[in-house]
Amino acid sequence: MSKKSKALHGVIQLFLILFLLLYLSPLFLVGINAFKSYQEIMTDVMSLPSAFTCDNIKNVFHDMKYPATFLNTLIATVIGTLGIIVIASMGGYKMARVKTRYSRFCFLFCIAPMMIPFQSFMLTLVNVATTLHINGKIWGLAIIYWGLGAPMSIFLYQGFAKGIPLELEESALIDGCNQFQLFTRIIFPMLKSCTATVTIINVMWIWNDFLLPLLMLGGRKSSKTLQLAAYSFMGQYKMEWQNIMSAAILIIIPALILYLIFQKSIIKGVVAGAVKG
Amino acid sequence: MQANSQKQKARKTALEFAGYVAPAVFFITLFVGIPFVMCIYYSFRKWNGIGKTSEFIGLENYIRLFINDPAFVSALKYTFIYAIGTVLIVNVLAIFFAALLESKIKGRGFFRAAFYIPNIISLVIIGFIWKFICTRVFEALMSITGWGIFGLSWLGDSQLAVFSTIIVSVWQSLGFYILIYVAGMQGVPTELNESADLDGAGAVRRFFSITIPLIMPSISFCMFHSVANSLKMFELIFSLTGGGPGTSTTSIALDIYNTAFNNSRYGYGSAKSVILFIIVLVISVIQVNFFKGKEVEA
Repeated sequence: MSKKSKALHGVIQLFLILFLLLYLSPLFLVGINAFKSYQEIMTDVMSLPSAFTCDNIKNVFHDMKYPATFLNTLIATVIGTLGIIVIASMGGYKMARVKTRYSRFCFLFCIAPMMIPFQSFMLTLVNVATTLHINGKIWGLAIIYWGLGAPMSIFLYQGFAKGIPLELEESALIDGCNQFQLFTRIIFPMLKSCTATVTIINVMWIWNDFLLPLLMLGGRKSSKTLQLAAYSFMGQYKMEWQNIMSAAILIIIPALILYLIFQKSIIKGVVAGAVKG
Repeated sequence: MQANSQKQKARKTALEFAGYVAPAVFFITLFVGIPFVMCIYYSFRKWNGIGKTSEFIGLENYIRLFINDPAFVSALKYTFIYAIGTVLIVNVLAIFFAALLESKIKGRGFFRAAFYIPNIISLVIIGFIWKFICTRVFEALMSITGWGIFGLSWLGDSQLAVFSTIIVSVWQSLGFYILIYVAGMQGVPTELNESADLDGAGAVRRFFSITIPLIMPSISFCMFHSVANSLKMFELIFSLTGGGPGTSTTSIALDIYNTAFNNSRYGYGSAKSVILFIIVLVISVIQVNFFKGKEVEA
């Protein structure tokens, strides 16, 4: 490397570091202000807390009913994602294998909703949920995600399953495997890397989703998700920034921890989902 | 005998197919298909959403939309300005940073991961964080630095608020687009760049003549993704500006929500929903055709 290009790299590096610091500074400000008193936020917002206090966090934790709300969000995310994985892996695999007109039609029917914005059928979705008596319930919310998340996931599974050799299935069938065993023991394990992508995309989506929970659970106090609780909580506290920042911290931290642990696979999954989708 | 067993086999395969595919088809029909068809049906009717009865009124909802509804026209205008703004800024910035990250600097993985962090936070929380930045923090910066830029009413002025929603949205999604562009640039063969370098092409020239044409698939995907997302935008403004001041940052999606849930005009809201679907569909088709001819092989 020449001297000139070394210097250039140094400049780029420095620029990126400075820009990144500026870019992430809003999150840093959230972090420091969650631990300040109201008076201190109003007088000195930019510096580190002079008297470090966890009182805001404690109050907010209690007011939001954090453990229950967290559990609700977890239930919706887990049931939602598991269901999507089951129905999309089965459907996507079979539609990749069977090459008839009907199969092609089913595939198009299943992926067409990717082109329909959620906001253009949300009003009537509420009515469907009311008719089925599943609105206001966490498991009802989770089941609706099956229908909303399946199209994208089917698309990914179908594309992935096309690349799996047929021979394994044939020999498994000759060995006396039934269809259920064939899928659970032979095929599903082979779809593993696609399942990872599908899991990452759907967990991140459902965990952070706000609009569907607002429509389905909005009025109810008992079954709120984190995003929903944060919204009503923040509306109620108006400009009490110390509480709002504490709520933000409580919601960001779990996601951030998961991200730091699984950072490599999350980035891989997001890119894989996008490049194929 | 033979024909019979063949028939049986065909029936068995059909049953198997149905067994695998039925759950997906069932849930998609129930939670997307039926609501979508209902929405089209109610868009031609007058309906308050609660009552069992609704009244057929033909195209009245659609006519009123464009002729007699300043709120919807303003939502259309805002959504388009917002979409054009975010799509241009986020894609240009993402390509720029992806190119910097691909210039063989140290800690590329770290930068990519760090830029992605705002993406793991929900848009509602992002909205509240930036409300805090635009009010309390800017106020403090104003008194420290005295710079006029911090004294402006970033969320209170109707034109500035539009700009603020664009900037916050870019801030939140930039990391995602950087990831996609970096992945695209990693697919560009290094020999091409090296031989162009030997031929005397400068870095800027190489970037525009080699990198850009070869990452067309990524550009096409990112344009598609960012356009679709910005036309649907809802959650960020819900918490950042609430659609205000006035209706200056009310998007189509938020207008649909308000029409139905605040004014109980479901039939009318359904007509707006159908319009949103048509807009997204038409723009997507145009994009697909536009980018079809532009992708080249390395």
